[in-house]
Amino acid sequence: MSKKRTGVFVCHCGTNIAATVDVARVAKEMADENTVAFTQEYVYMCSEPGQESVVQAIKDNKLDSVVVTCCSPNLHEKTFRDNAKRAGINNFTCEIANIREQCSWVHADKAKGTEKAIKISRSIVRRVNRNNPLEAIAVPVTKRAMVIGGGIAGIQAALDIANAGIEVILVEKQATIGGRMLQLSETFPTLDCSQCVLSPKMVEVNRHPNIRLMTYSEVQEVGGSVGNFRVKVLKKPTFVDPDKCKICDHCTAVCPQVVPNEYELNLNARRAIYIPYAQAIPASFTLDIDACLGLNPVVCGKCKDVCEAGAIDYDMQPQTVTEDVGAIVVATGFDLYGQENMYEMGGGKVEDVLDGLQFERLISASGATHGHILRPSDHKEPKDVVFIQCVGSRDPAKHCAYCSKICCMYTAKHARLYKKHVPDGRAYVFYIDIRSGGKGYEEFVQRTMEDDDTLYLRGRVSKLYRKGEKIKVMGTDTLTGQNVEIDADMVVLALAMVPSQGTVDIAKTLKIGRDKDGFLAEAHPKLRPVESVTGGIYLAGAAQAPKDIPETVAQAGAAAAKVIALLSQATLNRSPLIAKVRPSHCTGCGMCVEACPFIAIRLENGKAIVNEALCEGCGSCSATCLRAAIDVKNVTQLQIHEMIEACLA
Amino acid sequence: MINIQDIRDTARDMLAKGEARMVIGYRRGTRGMLAEPAFITDPAQADDLVWDPTCFNNLSLYLVHDKKFLAHMRENPKGPVAVVAKGCDARSIVVLLQEHYFKREDVYILGVSCEGAGVVDERKLAPLLNGERPSAAAFDGDDFVFTTAAGEKRLAAREVMADRCLECRAPYPKEHNLVFGEDKTGRQLEAPFAALERFEAQDAGQRWDAWSQHFDRCMRCFACRSVCPMCYCDECVVDSITFPVTAGTTAEEKATRIKWIERSATRSENITYLMTRAMHLAGRCTDCGECERACPVNVPIRMLNNKMEREAREKFGFEPGASIGGPSLVATFLDSDPGQFIR
Repeated sequence: MSKKRTGVFVCHCGTNIAATVDVARVAKEMADENTVAFTQEYVYMCSEPGQESVVQAIKDNKLDSVVVTCCSPNLHEKTFRDNAKRAGINNFTCEIANIREQCSWVHADKAKGTEKAIKISRSIVRRVNRNNPLEAIAVPVTKRAMVIGGGIAGIQAALDIANAGIEVILVEKQATIGGRMLQLSETFPTLDCSQCVLSPKMVEVNRHPNIRLMTYSEVQEVGGSVGNFRVKVLKKPTFVDPDKCKICDHCTAVCPQVVPNEYELNLNARRAIYIPYAQAIPASFTLDIDACLGLNPVVCGKCKDVCEAGAIDYDMQPQTVTEDVGAIVVATGFDLYGQENMYEMGGGKVEDVLDGLQFERLISASGATHGHILRPSDHKEPKDVVFIQCVGSRDPAKHCAYCSKICCMYTAKHARLYKKHVPDGRAYVFYIDIRSGGKGYEEFVQRTMEDDDTLYLRGRVSKLYRKGEKIKVMGTDTLTGQNVEIDADMVVLALAMVPSQGTVDIAKTLKIGRDKDGFLAEAHPKLRPVESVTGGIYLAGAAQAPKDIPETVAQAGAAAAKVIALLSQATLNRSPLIAKVRPSHCTGCGMCVEACPFIAIRLENGKAIVNEALCEGCGSCSATCLRAAIDVKNVTQLQIHEMIEACLA
Repeated sequence: MINIQDIRDTARDMLAKGEARMVIGYRRGTRGMLAEPAFITDPAQADDLVWDPTCFNNLSLYLVHDKKFLAHMRENPKGPVAVVAKGCDARSIVVLLQEHYFKREDVYILGVSCEGAGVVDERKLAPLLNGERPSAAAFDGDDFVFTTAAGEKRLAAREVMADRCLECRAPYPKEHNLVFGEDKTGRQLEAPFAALERFEAQDAGQRWDAWSQHFDRCMRCFACRSVCPMCYCDECVVDSITFPVTAGTTAEEKATRIKWIERSATRSENITYLMTRAMHLAGRCTDCGECERACPVNVPIRMLNNKMEREAREKFGFEPGASIGGPSLVATFLDSDPGQFIR
């Protein structure tokens, strides 16, 4: 192996690095390394002149490898590898030494910071000495996308992708698409009817030639990687043929089984055979097998007898279908933080304490009470209604640390709608502060306070309990410093938004990360907000973080644009930085097979074999192997050993 | 109470009928009372087998040796090897099976239950015999009986039993083809990890002083590695003298071999060796305690492995060698694992 000619390029990053690190000294120290042929420092290495100078230096000095000591490789590894390629050398002989995030930003002492920057840079110079030139692996792309979750986010993403001429499979767990938005009454700040806005889109999804809708279906297993995923979807039987069903409603009239209606948040009941909403897509009934007496004509069979269209088929079986797709959008939405977790709010055991979604159904014209606000316990019109914001949100000690973002707005909307329905009623809102950033949002809240005469009380509620007909709400008004007691007829809790169970499950199935609050993690909080940490899997809607409808729609559009960009390529370049087995050292213990999150390793004749199309180069196998029998290319044990040596020297 | 004749009869039968090509068990040794490993292929020698409190050796080690030897000789004889295995030894076999070291049908486990006892610790026994050298040892109820020149000496088993046996949670070989003795799982002679906890009761300074002495004393004879059935790697990552050179070894490979540890037996190198070994045994060590027994300079090696075992048990509810299909400690990730960073 002939000696390398490495160039080291030290970036000041303005004062981001230069304030804490003596960059000139770093460059000088690196020049003493015997494989370093050229060093240079520059104020912004990533600027156009900075990049040009790197390219020129590679050419002028016949460099064969490059170390750029600057910020995190997350930001500029690709930039400088592309430059290396432009200069005519292999891009995988270029490495980044991170002296910003891992050094200057976290240290204050310039002398010590400089020492550390030197060690980091030197370790990368040593690593690059043993880097091999590698070529990206070209893989074909499956030009088809899958959207998981049929709420507004999924619907929008599916439509946008389909309109670009790409086939989309939209998978929804429930019997209808529409998701949470279909449960809302009116939407802030314009107060237009949620279902009226949404249902044209739902119909469009159903009729779109490029969209294949799979409702009542769940994603079970995902294999493969960006460009070529293989997804197993379980289609649960609905026992009703949607093509034959005439929605005549005769079946529900005869069905003897009554269960709580989850689509109405248990405010009323439904039959075992049901249609979630009048607007449901597909427009068809579904037979809930858990509630049904048992699909046995001897036991019941009433629905089948009465169905003139012959749409009911008790022999329908669950089906597992396998779909190949190139990209996946995850739009699995949110749930509300359970009332049972809120002990101070009665723990879900006090009657007439509703959550925000239940209240939506109560004021919705299509809801359980046909739009009349009647409290569930006695169907009387409540005259004193207390709305409580931040229930479960912004409470790091006991509940969720984050702000659920939409509650200030929908609580104001609830108060307004309540006053519209019950003009002589009194609405009280407990709040911590009002967060109404958004077009027309602040004005909306102001109108609720002023025009609708809603009493906003700044403070929290410490306790509520049932006292006869009333609910006693004990709170504080911190502006007057007084304790407040309200005898309410009904209480509405603006519960925190949490990732839905479907989101939690899909994260495991897709092996995409979740953040500390359990929402799906984006690849970069600022620069890659709609991409998951796994290539080819994109995020949309409240599964990623609490957000309102306009934001969700915007994010869905962004995710769709990413999918379209990805799938418009003929082939994809996969990183060649993947695992490689040393068969002489492999004992075939299979620990790497178990550890691999991408199912990319298998045992063959007692030795591990890496599937290059699946390996993501994460290094889990290498960390697990006791025998150093598996390495990631260009991050070999030897390189790590020499890096450690460089740091300790 | 195990009747040794049952084991002998089984061994003789299996060899005579060709159901096993070899029986690995214990026989009377040549050094005082100690039993030694016996490799029996002739049915007539089956009567050499013994079962007494000096049957320390974890015989699963010899399954590893056998496999390596056959690979070296390029031989592939038919039929399983029958091996006498205590609870801990059987768990070692399970770990080897989990790691696909050999197939289940290649081994016939003659399980022996330690019942209410275990093996003797010579270091505990010596001071109680007033310098006399015993020539035999035997189980007798809750006692061990030692034969010395001065006659028989009866001692309560608990007084002279090895720590690992006192703390043993499962003295019964759950995985077996045939088992001798009763299942006394759940007997609690001493709390699990008691020796470790006694040591940990000291403050950090005292502990460091003690370990410094131990690490200074280690001479890296690798006896601990040699008796360990889990240390079956051909190349030990921390020992450059085990790097194999084969026809396929390239010059570059030879030139770039990593020396994680220097050859000299100094404190820092010894620490790295013993710590790395403990890490590599995490989730695999079944606490047979052979490393500590074999150590010529009394380094409490078992304590290092025990510490990892307790950690795995407390954090992940992990029991090494519990079942063949069971998970591996370091390669398995569960949603219920502590630490959210990996989700």
